[in-house]
Amino acid sequence: MIEAVQPQPGRLANAARELAKLPAFARRDMLVAWSYRATFITDVLSLFLQALLFYFVGLLVDEGRLPEFGGSPVTYMEYVTVGIALAAFLQVGLGRVAAALRHEQMIGTLESLLATPTSPATIQLGSVLYDLIYVPLRTGLFLLLIAVGFGLDFNLAGVPPAALVILFFVPFVWGLGLVTAAATLTFRGGSAGIGFGLTIMTLASGAFFPLELLPGWVESLASLNPMAIAIDGMREPLLGVVDWNETLRGLAVLLPFSAASLAAGIVGFRAALRRERRRGTIGHY
Amino acid sequence: MADQASNPGHIAEPTPAIEARGVSRRFGDKLALDDVSLAVSRGQIHALLGPNGAGKTTLLRTFLGLIEPSSGRAAVMGVDSVGSPVALRRLIGFVPAGDRSFYLRLSGLENLIFFGRLHGMPRRRAKERALEVLETVGLADAARKSVSVYSHGMQKRLGLARALLIDPAALFVDEATHDLDPEAADNCRNLVSALAARGTAVVWTTQRVDEVRGFADRVTLLAQGRVRFTGTVPELMAHALPRRYLLHLQNGGLSGEGARGVLSHALGGLGSIFTTAEDSDHYLLALREDAPLGDALAKLREAGFQLIGCRDERSGVEEAFLALTRDEEPA
Repeated sequence: MIEAVQPQPGRLANAARELAKLPAFARRDMLVAWSYRATFITDVLSLFLQALLFYFVGLLVDEGRLPEFGGSPVTYMEYVTVGIALAAFLQVGLGRVAAALRHEQMIGTLESLLATPTSPATIQLGSVLYDLIYVPLRTGLFLLLIAVGFGLDFNLAGVPPAALVILFFVPFVWGLGLVTAAATLTFRGGSAGIGFGLTIMTLASGAFFPLELLPGWVESLASLNPMAIAIDGMREPLLGVVDWNETLRGLAVLLPFSAASLAAGIVGFRAALRRERRRGTIGHY
Repeated sequence: MADQASNPGHIAEPTPAIEARGVSRRFGDKLALDDVSLAVSRGQIHALLGPNGAGKTTLLRTFLGLIEPSSGRAAVMGVDSVGSPVALRRLIGFVPAGDRSFYLRLSGLENLIFFGRLHGMPRRRAKERALEVLETVGLADAARKSVSVYSHGMQKRLGLARALLIDPAALFVDEATHDLDPEAADNCRNLVSALAARGTAVVWTTQRVDEVRGFADRVTLLAQGRVRFTGTVPELMAHALPRRYLLHLQNGGLSGEGARGVLSHALGGLGSIFTTAEDSDHYLLALREDAPLGDALAKLREAGFQLIGCRDERSGVEEAFLALTRDEEPA
């Protein structure tokens, strides 16, 4: 006899039970990351070296061609640092979200995870939770290190609006990562696609040079690049003056991109997981 | 149901703890499972036996809700594997094949705490329970060591410890002993037997035919996705090919080919006897299907031969396995 007789707990209780599992994922990934101490140190060091590289490049740049912020000129180093920080944020965040479940698949733990009474959504969110905390902290640490190390003059009052922009940018990165994760789960690859997409997005973001240097039509398109919107939203308060109206306008433009990206990511990832279960290939890599 | 209602004396059979009914699963053109049914009661160890590619792991994944059946249903304690996969996994322990199911950079203890928390335990309870089960499987001393330094056997025991975290109603063990030395394999089987003795229903997949005897209560033999046999181990052995025994016989003067003629005559119609090498005292006895071994040995003794040793050339279970998996049609 097969009779489904198990009483089902309410949705709210279920959600609470699933949420309570998230810290376990963060602790697991923190412990794993801590076991690779050398990687952590070289990660910070490489960010610093990247900044050093741009410092020397900046010596060749005609700063007169850079836009002014709050009516004041800025150095190339100040200009590019925000770009580097956000580009690294996108690169690391996207890469880790996209690779989280693939990594579980590769090391053989995905099947064991899916055999626990944990919803796939919790497993996905749990698998990236540590990175969603670590990557913004890493970005902040980078900005701090560069500001101190190279004597940059950031506006401290601009930190809250810049942090808010990052907060609104996180769902965009997460959603994009989920779409990539879905593609990776389905096609067992995708790193080339991530790299290509990132390059295009970064090129048209104004991270390393002003968008005005691009051809007119590319510049118009680039103004709709969420990364460009986020970088502008951070540069204005950090390098110029805090204008909350301007910040809120930027957030209003960023919000639909983030919402759309997150929705597409969740739908795409669920569909990919359902397909894997139907095909019976979930543990394959 | 109508029959039961009209028959007040009828005692309804209890719901099996683990049940598959008519489960089929197709991957493209390949039919990996073909109308597979099995039922496992609480406290029973059910061996799922079959060669590579028989469909054992596919059936296990179906029970875990990792694969949806193309048709049929799989359930644990009445909870359907497709309809309520999360509720289903609250009831089951799973020991996957292979070693790669843990975070190697973490200790055994941290791994178990993590999986305990995924089963809904608060951190303190997860730690307590992890320490208890590590003690149960004999890994207490290695609890705080990184899993990367665990041996195969230790990782298998850790896999069992993970399954024990929740005291599962049903345990699924996938090829747990295939790469273990005999002592470690025995250790694993003992742990599972102890769990079954406490009421857990166990499905144990294996291709090691020798290990089901004396361990499993029932056996389902799968080959090419189809059930070839379901029953007890003695019932399985009844499907063995004609039995063959290696005999060590001595007769003072006679040996080898010279003795074979005498022995063959003494056996009469009970079977055939062959020499294993020139001038050897060792012979191969092939018994007729219904001939008792004792009768054959008595006849050989009456012919003046002393029996020094007698053993199966191959275990009966292995014989049955080969006979049933070679068949085109299911038994």
